[in-house]
Amino acid sequence: MNKEISITINGEVYQQSVPIRMLLVDFIRDIAGLTGTHVACTYEGVCGACTIHVDGEAVKSCLMLAVQADRRTITTIEGLAIHGKLHPLQKAFNDHHALQCGFCSAGILMNMAEFIRTNRKPTEAEIRNALVGNLCRCTGYAHIVDAIKEVVGDAGSTGAVHQ
Amino acid sequence: MYPAIIENYDAPTSVHDALQALAKRGNESYFVAGGQSLMQAIKARVISPKSLIDLQHVTELKGIEYNKGAVRIGAMTRYRDIAADERLDGAYQALRDAARHVGDRQVRNRGTIGGSLCWNYIAACMPPTCIGIGASLDLVSRAGRRSLLAEAFLQGPLETARRDDEIVVAVTLPAAPMMCGSAYKKWGLVNDALPVVGVCASVELGDDRRCRVARLAIGGLATGPRRAEAGEKALIGVSATDASAISNAAETAAASTETQSDIWADAEYRKKLIETLAREVIATAFARAERGKHS
Repeated sequence: MNKEISITINGEVYQQSVPIRMLLVDFIRDIAGLTGTHVACTYEGVCGACTIHVDGEAVKSCLMLAVQADRRTITTIEGLAIHGKLHPLQKAFNDHHALQCGFCSAGILMNMAEFIRTNRKPTEAEIRNALVGNLCRCTGYAHIVDAIKEVVGDAGSTGAVHQ
Repeated sequence: MYPAIIENYDAPTSVHDALQALAKRGNESYFVAGGQSLMQAIKARVISPKSLIDLQHVTELKGIEYNKGAVRIGAMTRYRDIAADERLDGAYQALRDAARHVGDRQVRNRGTIGGSLCWNYIAACMPPTCIGIGASLDLVSRAGRRSLLAEAFLQGPLETARRDDEIVVAVTLPAAPMMCGSAYKKWGLVNDALPVVGVCASVELGDDRRCRVARLAIGGLATGPRRAEAGEKALIGVSATDASAISNAAETAAASTETQSDIWADAEYRKKLIETLAREVIATAFARAERGKHS
């Protein structure tokens, strides 16, 4: 029923015996106390608010069990700024007011932080496509896209989002 | 949305150990691949596994291998990796078309081809795509191994021919002839949504550049993913420039497919979607097969 696991989150090791059924997002929020990772869609895996990095890759932490993250390295929104210096995306989101209520922001920032690392010069269509897994219901997508474009140097070309 | 109690969790690092774990844990054990569908079902308590056997560390199940044109895709290969592999272009490009638009990029970072095929959800892209390109699945159990064509493996929605003691280890594709192309396209209510309908086409051209082998497969059906044989027959002898014959084949495929009505689309609209998507993917498959001529 329980399993002893060790997960490194933002450089800190959390070692704990947890129920096998515990979701990773609950480990992050309730055990590690890092509540910047949000739950919006009642854990259905559709909203993307709980997006984190597992070994550098953006995944939804409500679709993993904590035991699956044993011995893996996780970064959450709290670990995105380094030594107090905001990630360029965080700064751009601030500058462009790329949020209204802010509930979706942590997930979007984590997803986009990996996206712009793997695709350095995305078009606007590619940016919008990469945001499919993050729901913003205020909705501030226009400002979100503007902020991301600024960080990637505004590759510019707007095009229809292809199916 | 929270899982019921799970008693055991194993994370084997080889197929051998995974099968051992399965034998030890017995009934009510589930393999978890990428978990992007299974975890939802577990949280919704559609299923309540007593034991979970996590395949994420079984490295022998990951990756795409090419051997004299034949392709072997490990069951734990992620959408992300399939979408990025340009070596599939041409005969098996439909796989990339499908993988690129499954769910969203977070899902593609974890979701796997083997997981999708074993789950065989009605609104999934990999099942019709694998049928459409003539893929086979390799299954291994402690008793031995066997290979099944995707169309024999995939049955009604959420049903497959996998036996409880088996693990799907790979999706395999034969070396394709030079002039062969495939394509897949889905239609959903919003961008990259679950497919209401998805269609895969694959064509092989002869020296005269006319189609000599065609495959058409359709997903989003209450019957499970299906080939549209009447549409395939209508493509034999057709060439890339023969737009009316391609339209006719698409129409035939739609007319001969049994469709259902649900909240996403009524039966007649589904047929329209099949026809429209089929026309597009057939044309794209032809164009890709034509390009193969020069390579």
